[in-house]
Amino acid sequence: MHIADGVLPTSVAIGAFAVSIAVFAWSARKAKTEDLPKIAVVTSAFFVASLIHVPLGPTSVHLLIPGLVGILLGSSAFVSVALGIILQSLLFQFGGITALGVNALMMGVSALLCGYVFRAIKGPSLSGHVFAGAITGGLGVVLSAIILALFLVTSGEDFWGVAKIALYVHLPVVLIEAAVSAFSVSFLYKVKPDLLDISFSATNLNSSPKEPGSSERS
Amino acid sequence: MEMKPSVEIIQLPLSFLLLGLSALVVTWLLCFRLLKAFSASKSSGSSSPTSQSYTGSETEKDWTLPSMDSHAHRDSLFHRWDPRIKLLSLFVYIFCVASITQVPTACIALLSAIGSVAAAHIPFRHPLRRLAAMGGFLGMLLLIMPLTAPAKQGDTLVVFQHLSFMTFNFRGFLLALLICLKASAIALMMEPLLGTSPFSITIHALARLGVPQQVCQMILLTHRYIFVFFHEMKRMNAGMKARGFRNKTNIETVRTLGNFVGMLMVHSFERTQRVYEAMTARGYNGTLPDYISFQALQQDWIKGAFWIILGVVLVGMDRLW
Repeated sequence: MHIADGVLPTSVAIGAFAVSIAVFAWSARKAKTEDLPKIAVVTSAFFVASLIHVPLGPTSVHLLIPGLVGILLGSSAFVSVALGIILQSLLFQFGGITALGVNALMMGVSALLCGYVFRAIKGPSLSGHVFAGAITGGLGVVLSAIILALFLVTSGEDFWGVAKIALYVHLPVVLIEAAVSAFSVSFLYKVKPDLLDISFSATNLNSSPKEPGSSERS
Repeated sequence: MEMKPSVEIIQLPLSFLLLGLSALVVTWLLCFRLLKAFSASKSSGSSSPTSQSYTGSETEKDWTLPSMDSHAHRDSLFHRWDPRIKLLSLFVYIFCVASITQVPTACIALLSAIGSVAAAHIPFRHPLRRLAAMGGFLGMLLLIMPLTAPAKQGDTLVVFQHLSFMTFNFRGFLLALLICLKASAIALMMEPLLGTSPFSITIHALARLGVPQQVCQMILLTHRYIFVFFHEMKRMNAGMKARGFRNKTNIETVRTLGNFVGMLMVHSFERTQRVYEAMTARGYNGTLPDYISFQALQQDWIKGAFWIILGVVLVGMDRLW
């Protein structure tokens, strides 16, 4: 769920812009020039994945996968998510242009944290990866829902009810995201495990594909 | 729910609520019908997945992924405007609209947005899709805010007979309405802002305005890849359907979709490697060649000044009302 234009006070919107530009700069500095096309590709995959709808009873929810972006890109995840948010806003009006900063922080910070958490708790085994994938997949949604609620709370007492309901609405999404992430991670572990080894030093990003011996999994 | 003494309470019979609800449902259905009609060509395309999957037909109208600049070739005041000044002044204007706090000024902003879409010679179904995309969020606000906004001094509460636990706070409703108006006004302005020059020109103009080269390039690359992967996704989806996959609420669907996302990632990574090598082979060195020159004439500055002044006047009216 992205925040539309005109919901938040302008000061909050501009402040969020400033903070997200700072985080973006930090995240972009960690990425090298030769990684840029790669980040662009994951961003478009992230964007396209948000068009996949998972049926949920009578309605359906679309995938958010901030967790998966964090898993795949590490510290560059914020760049990727922010670009995805910009394009979603420009193309679809998913999230307003004045709320770009807020929406980028909402998804991007959770993607970054998910990347760190995934790296910290994944073990060497398949089950460890799947478990970590499920945790980070769910965590990504929980974190973005919490950040969304926090931003809504800043808009005044009138928005507290909306913030609370926005939190509840995300609960079923957490389960779906956790399951999808777990299955995706399990798939990647079997098919292309070096993608999951992407660490927070940008050099790995470029050297890993195409070299079967480069992964250090046991 | 306890009432504060200074709150004005209006009692309405239950039939009013039913009337309002049915009006809401009817409007909802009408909007839905309208959208269905607009996206009719899309559904007719997807009902025959085999015919369109491998041809990669670029001619087929794709309603799910709208292109921003399909009307960039037309001619209007907005098209003839230097993109740099257009971006900058409309951006300032949009922020002014976002800081409006009164419903009447928001209405003026909405009207001026409708006027400028018409002036930009863009058919209205384009911005309509933008409005539809916000529908869920704004609908939620309209539904929830009147019910949850806390009663303050001087508020008007509407209570229905037999349903005393539900109080509609008129102030909450106005607040939600204000947000809807502002969001729609801004969403409509996106069309004159982005739809009146080719996307690549818009991004080059952003680069001239000081947005880092790398960021602009990333936006361009990503924008390109989105369409590539959307085609990829449609192809994979057709393959899944051909093997008997049906979207349902069960763990099997989730497992398949998980693998689907994983496959999308694998494909995309492999593709990047090739694309990057191809780009390097063609002399890519981290910058895109800059062959576009912008020229700001006096009338460009006048238009820019007009929008900024309009924005400031709107905010001024809003505060002094």
